[in-house]
Amino acid sequence: MRRLVVAALLVVIPGVAAAQGNTAEQLDQAARYHADLDVERELVLLRRIISPNSPFVVTHEQRVLAYKYLGAALVVSGRRDSAIVYFSAALERDPFVDLEPQKFTPAELAAFADARRLTFGLGIRAVPFDTLDPRTERLGITVLATHAADIHVELRTTNAPAGVVLYQGITDGPRELQWDGLIADGHLAPTGRYELFLSGVSRLSHRADSVRLYFSVQQEHAPLEDTLPALRPDEVLPEQHSAGIARAELLKGLGIAAGALLIPRTLANGDLHGGGRALATGIAVTASGAGIAGFVFRQRHREISANVAANARRRAEHAAANAAIRDRNQQRLAQTRLIVAPAAGVGP
Amino acid sequence: MNARRIGRAMLGALAMLGGTATVAPGQRSVQGSVQIGRADHRIVASDALVAASGTLFGAAVDLTIDQRFDVHGEVSGGHLATGPAASLDDHDIAEAQLRAGMRLRPWLTVQTALDMRSYANSLARQHWTTWRVGAEARVPLGFETVGAVVRGYWIPVASVSGLPQPDLALAAAVGVEWRGQRLGVSALYSFERYDFPPQSGTRRLEELATFRVGASLHRP
Repeated sequence: MRRLVVAALLVVIPGVAAAQGNTAEQLDQAARYHADLDVERELVLLRRIISPNSPFVVTHEQRVLAYKYLGAALVVSGRRDSAIVYFSAALERDPFVDLEPQKFTPAELAAFADARRLTFGLGIRAVPFDTLDPRTERLGITVLATHAADIHVELRTTNAPAGVVLYQGITDGPRELQWDGLIADGHLAPTGRYELFLSGVSRLSHRADSVRLYFSVQQEHAPLEDTLPALRPDEVLPEQHSAGIARAELLKGLGIAAGALLIPRTLANGDLHGGGRALATGIAVTASGAGIAGFVFRQRHREISANVAANARRRAEHAAANAAIRDRNQQRLAQTRLIVAPAAGVGP
Repeated sequence: MNARRIGRAMLGALAMLGGTATVAPGQRSVQGSVQIGRADHRIVASDALVAASGTLFGAAVDLTIDQRFDVHGEVSGGHLATGPAASLDDHDIAEAQLRAGMRLRPWLTVQTALDMRSYANSLARQHWTTWRVGAEARVPLGFETVGAVVRGYWIPVASVSGLPQPDLALAAAVGVEWRGQRLGVSALYSFERYDFPPQSGTRRLEELATFRVGASLHRP
């Protein structure tokens, strides 16, 4: 089975290549006939190319070229109206098609110009792969109207209702536009798919036309640093004493007072009848007062000032580190380059 | 014998001070304070109790090195009277103390101190030289700037002119301190007990209790 597939491919692939090669060769031959004014042979060759029954594969570009040469050949053979029809067919398929003055006669150029006046079409030249620095470079975009028209060129993301208007006004023929890489809000275009939408109304026929071109933009910059995660609860010190702290402060004060009262009663010699009990009472009263005051104070203020200050310092350091990371990231983003690449259809 | 013990005590204290002096220069803070207080001096000699009390005045300087070592120098003095009327038992007290401490924990400091004290009246003068070792514990009291201090000392060396080495000599103190940014206020009760060996059938007992209030100014 595999051998059969390989054999079929060996038969088919050269056939396709030959067919394409044959169309190209025929177009080259037709161009040579046109240069030699051998119009009859040229017409036969070109009609064979555009025929639906052509045995060869004909690409879009080859078909446009065939119509262009057919129009030129018909001008030479005196059938100007038919020539304009074929020129129009070429223009409808590719508004950018043109006759090179060094290859074609003034009569052919004049017929082609008439075809352009009669045919209204808008075109956008494909955006090439490009990398641009938005600070110094611009993306070149070429739009075209086959004849004088009011056009509107807008760039937008594929799902946005409105975008940046690159041009609005009258144009006739090609027009070079430039895009600075910014979107409507003035920010650098984010990574994504973009649509270049060209619409216009002919000033001659009042016909309307529109065309879309899709391309992708990717921001390229040095890798960004992650900011530090928020401080976890176990990374900060407790900022409040436990509920029992007030009672503990009271007990400490009373304990110190009791200690002061015990000294003259336990350490003093009983024969001296003293030990400064009155003096000890003074310190006991002071310690008790401090304990009671501490109890009241801790009932109302349970915060641990040192820890609050330490946590504030730690949070400030954390915020400063994140600010520095954001600054560095901002600097890297400021040097962002845009990679532009053509895209097909309306992307995901 | 006493002179030898005092010499050893002084050498020990000097060694400790020397140890603090060899600490590399670091964070040091100095505190100066003035004190006023009340003293109660009781003596039982020849079975007679003599109790004298009076007001004390004093001044002290503290040097703290690297939050770990501290040196304390203090002088104080006053007149102690046995009663409203003048008596031969009335006497003056003058004292100088040099104390060194090393912080083992944020709340616990071991200390040693050399005291020189003099009791004098119009008839006689008695010199006391003592060396004590002990510890000081500090306990915060509710407010972060208020704390209690508890001290306990054993006095292994007490040289008193005209008296033998006491059998029992110890001291204790309890106080409360408030320490602000630059100023501090303290109240301290201290107690000392000396039991001398019997001589000629009588036993001399002596106690000194004080209550001092101090105001301090410290420079970080």
